[in-house]
Amino acid sequence: MNQHQNHKILQELQERILFCDGGMGSLLQEHGLKAGELPGNYNMTHPEVLVQIHKEYLAAGADIVLTNTFGVDGLKYNEQTEYSVEQVVQTAVHHVKTAIRESGGQGYTALDIGPTGKLLKPLGDLAFEDACRLFGQVAAAGAEAGADLILIETMSDSYEVKAAVLAAKEHCNLPVFVTVTFDENGKLLTGGSVESVVALLEGLGVDALGINCGLGPVQMKGILAEILRVSSIPVMVNPNAGLPRSEGGKTVYDIDSDEFAAVMKEMTAMGARVVGGCCGTTPEHIRKTVEACRDMKPVPVSKKCRTVVSSFARAVVVEREPVIIGERINPTGKSKFKQALRDHDLEYILREGVTQQDHGAHILDVNVGLPEIDEPSMMEDVVLELQSIIDLPLQIDTSNIAAMERGMRIYNGKPMVNSVNGKQESMAAVFPLVKKYGGVVVALTLDEKGIPETAAGRMKIARKIYDTAAEYGIGPEDILVDALCLTISSDSQGAVTTLETLRRVRDELHGRTVLGVSNISFGLPQREIINAAFFTMAMQSGLNAAIINPNSEAMMRAYYSFRALMDMDPQCVEYIHIYGGQTVSPGQSAVKGQPAGTPLPLAASIEKGLKERAAAAVKELLQEKEPLEIINTEMIPALDRVGKAFEAGTLFLPQLLMSAEAAKAAFAVIKDQMQSTGQVREKKGKIILATVKGDIHDIGKNIVKVLLENYSYEVLDLGKDVPPELIVETAVNGQVPLVGLSALMTTTVPNMEETIKQLRIAAPWVKVMVGGAVLTEEYAKTIDADRYCRDAMASVNYAQEVFSGK
Amino acid sequence: MFNWNEREILRYLGHQGQNIPENVGQLMTECRQELEREAAPKSIWRSYPLGVAEAEIDASCFQTTSRNLAHNLKDCDEIILFGATLGSQVDVLLMKYGKLSVSKAVVMQAAAVAMLETYCDEQNEELKAAYLSKERYLRPRFSPGYGDFSLTCQQPIVSALELSKRIGITLTESLLMVPSKSVTAVIGVSRIPQNCQVQGCETCARRDCLYRR
Repeated sequence: MNQHQNHKILQELQERILFCDGGMGSLLQEHGLKAGELPGNYNMTHPEVLVQIHKEYLAAGADIVLTNTFGVDGLKYNEQTEYSVEQVVQTAVHHVKTAIRESGGQGYTALDIGPTGKLLKPLGDLAFEDACRLFGQVAAAGAEAGADLILIETMSDSYEVKAAVLAAKEHCNLPVFVTVTFDENGKLLTGGSVESVVALLEGLGVDALGINCGLGPVQMKGILAEILRVSSIPVMVNPNAGLPRSEGGKTVYDIDSDEFAAVMKEMTAMGARVVGGCCGTTPEHIRKTVEACRDMKPVPVSKKCRTVVSSFARAVVVEREPVIIGERINPTGKSKFKQALRDHDLEYILREGVTQQDHGAHILDVNVGLPEIDEPSMMEDVVLELQSIIDLPLQIDTSNIAAMERGMRIYNGKPMVNSVNGKQESMAAVFPLVKKYGGVVVALTLDEKGIPETAAGRMKIARKIYDTAAEYGIGPEDILVDALCLTISSDSQGAVTTLETLRRVRDELHGRTVLGVSNISFGLPQREIINAAFFTMAMQSGLNAAIINPNSEAMMRAYYSFRALMDMDPQCVEYIHIYGGQTVSPGQSAVKGQPAGTPLPLAASIEKGLKERAAAAVKELLQEKEPLEIINTEMIPALDRVGKAFEAGTLFLPQLLMSAEAAKAAFAVIKDQMQSTGQVREKKGKIILATVKGDIHDIGKNIVKVLLENYSYEVLDLGKDVPPELIVETAVNGQVPLVGLSALMTTTVPNMEETIKQLRIAAPWVKVMVGGAVLTEEYAKTIDADRYCRDAMASVNYAQEVFSGK
Repeated sequence: MFNWNEREILRYLGHQGQNIPENVGQLMTECRQELEREAAPKSIWRSYPLGVAEAEIDASCFQTTSRNLAHNLKDCDEIILFGATLGSQVDVLLMKYGKLSVSKAVVMQAAAVAMLETYCDEQNEELKAAYLSKERYLRPRFSPGYGDFSLTCQQPIVSALELSKRIGITLTESLLMVPSKSVTAVIGVSRIPQNCQVQGCETCARRDCLYRR
């Protein structure tokens, strides 16, 4: 299992300070590289230049020399270009090895892997697995050509860096070093913090990590300090030559090579173990740095034993202060949720996530286990959706190993994993996943013999789990022991045993614990009372993480009071902020925007766009009238009045949309009511909506969707960047009468044209309406659309035309 | 506290003088606050020698044919390439509200665009002042996609400025910038000041646009 550790560089890394080379780009420019020319090509066109530069760095004292492969990947080198990835990589590796050989034979060849220059979906258009493939191709070529290690550098997005690390490890056995680029605030461009990045990279098992580019050495000191505080592996620093400015058309840096070396010496004294340079640095910078640092005693790397999970932007540390894991994304006992899963209604799930975040959850549990659905696919879809808009770390909760792997692989960060238990089969399935993808795993103290009745029995299983995890290289800091809550309604010792187990794990094993608190009251009335009391008792017994409902007022009161009482809330500031002088407690929002006097009736609240009032008003009305009557006599006429006012210009877009959302909220209440009596709201017809291929913006399409659904149309929302074939297929399979296409850019309108062409052939009955900032009436005609929709209401009007004509 | 231009936000919402009710005003306030928290504005610029002959433009790192751009660059011998962005967290916000509340999404979008334009104007003013001290005068900024200035010039501009590495602007296959609230532009520099500077909506031929100033 540790063949990996036999690499010479890893042993040297433990013994002394290692030195990286410096910048390449500006040196190539001095040798004639023109703006816009791909630096990777120089390996083939100017081999002697590359070998010379590499030798200069070796002569300056660099141990690690990077191949000239920054930015080399399948996007820029493929069948359409002169050279292939393999050619460039092999040639580049060859040059470094030649330089090493001709310089006395000492030195390590590092395959340089830089970013693709694209953002990953859903922000950009590069899929995670495609990114893995691109990086994998480079890693495989480099390993085959004889590189000694892989250096992934200048990464400013945690998702892309995860793809690169996984790809490197899946395609070869070489050591993997990773440096990322932080801005002066210690953040990645896509939001990652030092803690979240370190958690991610250590979880993925890289051999060294650190920072490069973006900043000079002076600006990196503070960030280095933070990295050293939280990391448990060797740290690398490759700064730019300083901060750049333009002087007479040339780039000049604000410090010189002497000052550079002086600051590098300070950083080595702080604890950096691999030092070198990036943009603007030269062999001179490296030579002076080597001279300054070579004889320094390396600061030992210390294990921090921290329990950390992360999202793309945040880390959550599980220590003394209890952490809340929101439990609401779970179908158990929730028929609405189960229906949402069957319908693939991800909006419902997103709202549950956001609500829990608003109520103070630190981590969100994600459980989509339902027998009749494809759980692995659903887990992947839900994780992708949640992490695209919520920056809380997620807990991947499933007993389906395939779903666990899909979730962990696609997850942007270091996840919590629920769960493993003491059975051999479980540990053999789960631990390898935790080792590969990183994670903090919930460990249930049960095994083949069942759930032990005593704390001693559960402790024994806990020990077994820790020991087995250690065999996989997983430390106790990445395990949360679940002491199990058996409901006191069937086991009167249930709570007593659990609490004792919590205390003993804390005091005897120095371990961390988690509980699904609500289980304790299963079968009892007014469960919240017992849950809240037990929650306090468990926290007092050392519980580190609690899976609870953060929307529950009683539970959050227990939590915030505990914090205030245990000196975790200095001057009770947080407690006072939440509970001080309020008549409405968190979890119940005040009804917004309501004028004084009698409460507004339904139609008026829709017209004024008052969402909460509309939902309340329709509840009241449902006591007197039938749903269909309310819809037809109150709601639709109100929407019609608003639509007309918008078209006449007496109200503008935000008002139209707030009215639409107020109606939507009221419709949701009606739907619940109808479902409880077995009724269903009849749909007027199917409409496909899509943002065409190449286009990834969809607010306009989403607006049209809300409006159309209010008018009882069934909207098949295919999303964004949708290929023509999928639209055609959906139209044909569903015999759909109307398709709405949206495009934002002149470059993507051709895809709209293509989609319409294909529809005319395969689905000649379809009517097509088009919209989007770039379109005009004339252009819509030239691409053979049936209707150009200038604004939001136009699509509703056309839909009504199309469907009444049938 | 960001220097907001409320009128611009309203313009991007297609506002034509209607009364603004309290709940919409509240929404606008929330959106401004969230943007102030999440936006991370960054910009970068570099200058290059410029040659213009009729409608042929040679900006050193790209060449293109454009009557409109040539008109904008009249009498210029230097060209500044400029890039700016509000960062990816703004897109996360837009995605969130795009899925959960389209009314908030639409207001957030308008506010974000207004914020980006104000930020670009501020950076532009700084550049103007810096060049003024050398008696050099800037023309109004002009972006690929305006008039007949081809969108394909995005790629060389992104490469020359190293936008993905320096401030995190990338291009999709269809030349869309990501993060979405990003701008690239060229700014001509001349020894000769220009007295009547026409920019923005006034330079555009499309008269029936809902958002025209």
